[in-house]
Amino acid sequence: MSIDWAALGLQALNVLILVWLLARFFWRPVAGVIEQRRAAAQALLDDAGAKNEAAKAALAEVTATRAGFAQEREALLAQAQAQAAAARTTLLAAAAQEAEALRREARAAMQTEQAAAAQAWRARASRLAVDIAARLAARLQGEAVQAAFLEFLLREIQALPPAARQAAALEAVSATEIPAAAQPDITARISAALGATPRISFITEPALIAGLELRGPHLRISNSWRADLDSIEQDLTHDG
Amino acid sequence: MISPLSNPPLFHLGPLPVPESVVATWGIMLLLAGGGAMLTRGLRLAPSRTQAALELIVSTVDSQIRDTMRVEPGPYRAFIGTLFVFIFAANWSALLPGVEPPTAHLETDAALALLVFLAVIWFGVRAGGVRGYLASFAFPNPIMIPLNFIETLTRTFSLLVRLFGNVMSGVFVIGIVLSLAGLLIPIPLMALDLLTGAVQAYIFAVLAMVFIAGAVAEAKPETPSTKAPP
Repeated sequence: MSIDWAALGLQALNVLILVWLLARFFWRPVAGVIEQRRAAAQALLDDAGAKNEAAKAALAEVTATRAGFAQEREALLAQAQAQAAAARTTLLAAAAQEAEALRREARAAMQTEQAAAAQAWRARASRLAVDIAARLAARLQGEAVQAAFLEFLLREIQALPPAARQAAALEAVSATEIPAAAQPDITARISAALGATPRISFITEPALIAGLELRGPHLRISNSWRADLDSIEQDLTHDG
Repeated sequence: MISPLSNPPLFHLGPLPVPESVVATWGIMLLLAGGGAMLTRGLRLAPSRTQAALELIVSTVDSQIRDTMRVEPGPYRAFIGTLFVFIFAANWSALLPGVEPPTAHLETDAALALLVFLAVIWFGVRAGGVRGYLASFAFPNPIMIPLNFIETLTRTFSLLVRLFGNVMSGVFVIGIVLSLAGLLIPIPLMALDLLTGAVQAYIFAVLAMVFIAGAVAEAKPETPSTKAPP
């Protein structure tokens, strides 16, 4: 047995060439595609992991948002309660003010009614007093009373300014009819007081109760129980 | 009967005699390289059945390299895988009528063992440099330098003898039986020879991995070394 060294060298060269050929056309491409698939799978896993993390983050965000909703609901409830309390306070205050205003109005109305009633009662009392006084005064008829009223009338005429005493015709009004015999004397005394001689006519008005008044176009002298009572009644009514 | 040990030249390529084993090797090379180039033309991420089978082969080789050498298979895949595929195809080429396996001849097995011897040096130097590779012969102490050097030569020789002896003996036995008995008698022996061929291809590749891994591990000073089996 001998070794063919040329064949040995050729075979070694052949195997080396085969190693290169298979590395070029078989081992490297197949290993490459395996690596590509592994990388793609790894990328998918990484992507899935990233999406998983994103989903977890989204879930946490949703959870936080839901917690925020609860907090916001609590805040809204608290705000609504505060607004309701404020509105209730405002309404109570407004109601209290309105009640106070109504109470004041009622009090004012009551006071007004009381004043009106008091005024009415005062007026009634005044009228009643005047009626009583008129009935009492009506019993004081006579020449002395008539003479007193004549004197009162003359003093009133003399208190008038001179211009007011000028009149062409006057009326002398009395509660009872003045006898014709006494009329010239009264006319004379009035004319003397006036400082003129107007024409004086005598009229009877029972409403005067008692007294003697002088009336003209520009002159009116009230001098009777009626005028006094009216004046008193008016004073009583107004004083109240 | 022609002696299986003889390797007569079929023709001469200039001054070089070209024996039958070399021509058979060229045929195997053409078949493997052409088939590989044709089958890997349309590789896709979604594999076909053929691509899945090819990826199974590559994945199995990678897995064996990882399990045996404890390293990433990238730098060693082409050499180890090609050794296994070539020896496997060469051993099984005996199925073809008139074809004698190239591995049944001493020159082919010697060439393969020589390549493994050179690959051990190449990968060892690449892992730890020339100094680191030479220092690996002094493991575990300098007294072992002669023994380690002799071991390197003898294990390469054992590769050669193991493969040659198994394949040549199979062919020899089948030839003897075929010359003595009928046509169908050698068939069980041929089946056994196929099994022997596959096992021998696997053993050769595994031993090459072990030798290279030992050189790489011992060449790296920081790496805990694992003494390769002889």
